[in-house]
Amino acid sequence: MLCRVADSLFWLSRYIERAENTARLTDVNIQLLLEVGHDDEAVEEAHWRDYLESLGDTPLFEKHYERMDTYSVAEFLTFSRENPSSVLSCVLAARENARMIRDQISSEMWEIINRLYLFLRQQDPARVLNTRSSAFFEQISQMSHLFRGVTDATFPRQVGYEFIKAGCYLERVDKTGRILDTNHRLLPAGKTVTESSADEAVQWVSVLRAGAALEAYHRVYVGDVRAREVVSFLLLSREFPRSILFALNQLQLALHAISGCALTHYSNEAERLCGRIISRLVYTSVDEILADGLHAFLSEIEDTANAIALEIAAHYMFSPIIDSEDEPPGEENSQKQVQSLS
Amino acid sequence: MMDFTNYDCGGFYDEMFEAEGKTRPHYRTFAQRFEDLSLEEFHDIRQAVDLAFLRQGVTFTVYSGDEGTERIFPFDLIPRIIPNSEWVSVERGLKQRMHALNAFLHDIYHERRILKENVIPRHYVESAAHYRPEMADVDVPLDTYVHICGSDLIRDHEGRYCVLEDNARTPSGVSYVLENRQVMKKAFPRFFPKVGVRPVDDYASILLNLLKGVAPDHIENPTIVVLTPGVFNSAYFEHCFLARQMGVEIVEGRDLVVQDNRVYLRSITGLQQVDVIYRRIDDDFLDPKVFRKDSLLGVPGIVDAYKAGNVTLANALGTGVADDKVIYYFVPQMIKFYLSEEPILPNVETWLANESKDLPYILENMENLVVKSANESGGYGMLIGPAASKREVEDFRAKVKEDPRNFIAQTPISLSRSPTWCDGSLEGRHIDLRPYILSGKETYVTPGGLTRVALRKGSLVVNSSQGGGSKDTWVLYGDE
Repeated sequence: MLCRVADSLFWLSRYIERAENTARLTDVNIQLLLEVGHDDEAVEEAHWRDYLESLGDTPLFEKHYERMDTYSVAEFLTFSRENPSSVLSCVLAARENARMIRDQISSEMWEIINRLYLFLRQQDPARVLNTRSSAFFEQISQMSHLFRGVTDATFPRQVGYEFIKAGCYLERVDKTGRILDTNHRLLPAGKTVTESSADEAVQWVSVLRAGAALEAYHRVYVGDVRAREVVSFLLLSREFPRSILFALNQLQLALHAISGCALTHYSNEAERLCGRIISRLVYTSVDEILADGLHAFLSEIEDTANAIALEIAAHYMFSPIIDSEDEPPGEENSQKQVQSLS
Repeated sequence: MMDFTNYDCGGFYDEMFEAEGKTRPHYRTFAQRFEDLSLEEFHDIRQAVDLAFLRQGVTFTVYSGDEGTERIFPFDLIPRIIPNSEWVSVERGLKQRMHALNAFLHDIYHERRILKENVIPRHYVESAAHYRPEMADVDVPLDTYVHICGSDLIRDHEGRYCVLEDNARTPSGVSYVLENRQVMKKAFPRFFPKVGVRPVDDYASILLNLLKGVAPDHIENPTIVVLTPGVFNSAYFEHCFLARQMGVEIVEGRDLVVQDNRVYLRSITGLQQVDVIYRRIDDDFLDPKVFRKDSLLGVPGIVDAYKAGNVTLANALGTGVADDKVIYYFVPQMIKFYLSEEPILPNVETWLANESKDLPYILENMENLVVKSANESGGYGMLIGPAASKREVEDFRAKVKEDPRNFIAQTPISLSRSPTWCDGSLEGRHIDLRPYILSGKETYVTPGGLTRVALRKGSLVVNSSQGGGSKDTWVLYGDE
């Protein structure tokens, strides 16, 4: 398989997953604000500031917007072309990648991506964000699910499929981490987690909703939503498909399917880092994690996920042989696709 | 009932009718069956065919604004039929022309006999837009330069085949030949065995064998790729189509890398050496180290690898000399010079503005001539004297005077016509023919080729960018 094709499959998948997560996160945060906001501008601004901070997007936002209110942030996250991670930007990037390898993916896959693109293009941002935003965000999620289903049903289980899988799960590791991290201030290092206040419980419910995990959580844990269990569920569940451990396990399977290396050892840096962070998760208890601080633990996962993305790019997408001076490096930013040609 | 009783030949050479109501022998079997169709059946078939083209994505890209749109190439259901004996002579003529063109290209990049003996003035070759001095004394496998050629043929008012131009760089359109046939076989399944039509669908395997045969050092199982400018190219569909049919990888410039004068494919399992490149990128964009520095489509270093003999390019570098319409003028002389034969297919009568004996004639008779720029194609840079306004003629006269090297003039040819379905009735429309000639160890000509049809009434311009469509071309096993 050509490096370029592998790169496009990986990023096409990653951008679709990112669009879905951004849509869901935006929706959940708008709704959370409705519950705790009490129509207070200061609360509203503080809420979004926290959130943009966790995404690392505050400077970019402030460059293009004057007020940090719900409408502006929602627009920034959904329709802004200035924001490379907005839903629209992600879908455009996914479509561009799909277009470049259109003869390599199934026509059904192409059609879904194209439909998602046309759906977004038809929307009037002001109308969507002022009125029925939830229905809109749900549509995005549904089309992302449709894409996964169509891929499963139509795409051959060859190495290309594994790149699609790797892109999706790597993105999920990153996003579930960020979702958990939005509440880390409630859980500073060393704090004993016993009871949560009512306000905190609301926040943890919204974390579960942002991770599309509320229903699944309640199947496992009966009763009130508690911080310790939420962290345990979204980090360490072996069964829930959006938990970090589950996503890392799937990522590991994909990486080893690509290289053909047995799971008992590793053949490249991406596999080594992936195996190591899985061991960390498997052999660390939730109480240990909370005692050392959730934020520090999540940062470690995020750094590892970034490093894995760079290693995948270096190993598979930009062959390391390069001796000429003008080659695109596989360095810098693992969150964005390195485009050697636009 | 589909009927031709009101069909008007309009005084042109008609492919199907000798005269009104008198069908040519090689169209008779087709006509009998076609006339049996009801109008409803014909409409059903038309709809099914259009849908098939759209669904299979047999499209070309038209640019307007910043987003390209994909369109289907209009397709007419009435085939253009050529009897065997007629085709035999066209085929011989095309092979002869190819042999002469390849001999010419080898000669001008080596001994230069044809220039030394002044059969072609040296300055014409050296001033040709696509002449590549870099190719001097570079040897290419089998001395073959033009592996794939698309020569445009037209028929005059007497039905004589003439060559209008040669496309010796990266001719496109062959995918339409193959797709048109697929679609026609589905539309009229019973016609084919009855009429006796020669198949075209072995094209990809013949092309693949040709490419294998020109690998450097006679490598047994060479790695072959199709090099495309990318998805934004209007012929991208064709590049994918041919790669898929041959079972080889389709690559863009950035998928290739040159090391130690060898070309490699960047694959996820590492670098894989490439031996033969069927490139659909023009010379100018192929190597930013040698040609256009701003090209992002090419592969830095590929020309050095090529000159070192480590990779074969099909077509070779520098074949565009033969596309220059001034050089076209000399092809009959080339045939005599290299092959000691008389040309089987004539050129259209041509004058060179740069020749002092021709220039006054061109300037005085411009209203009655077709004047063409030497290095443009696609129906651009052209004056059709009889159809032009006084002002347009004046403008062209000034252009020709200013830069005579880049202009030629030709007698207008009233292209032959073929019955074509036009908004509810069958009418005559002008057509041309582009056969594809493959040269390697052997020379092969597609039976038939792409018949292009000028769908606008009276129009002589068959290019797809200017309202042209296509027809399936049937070369018969026999003459009836």
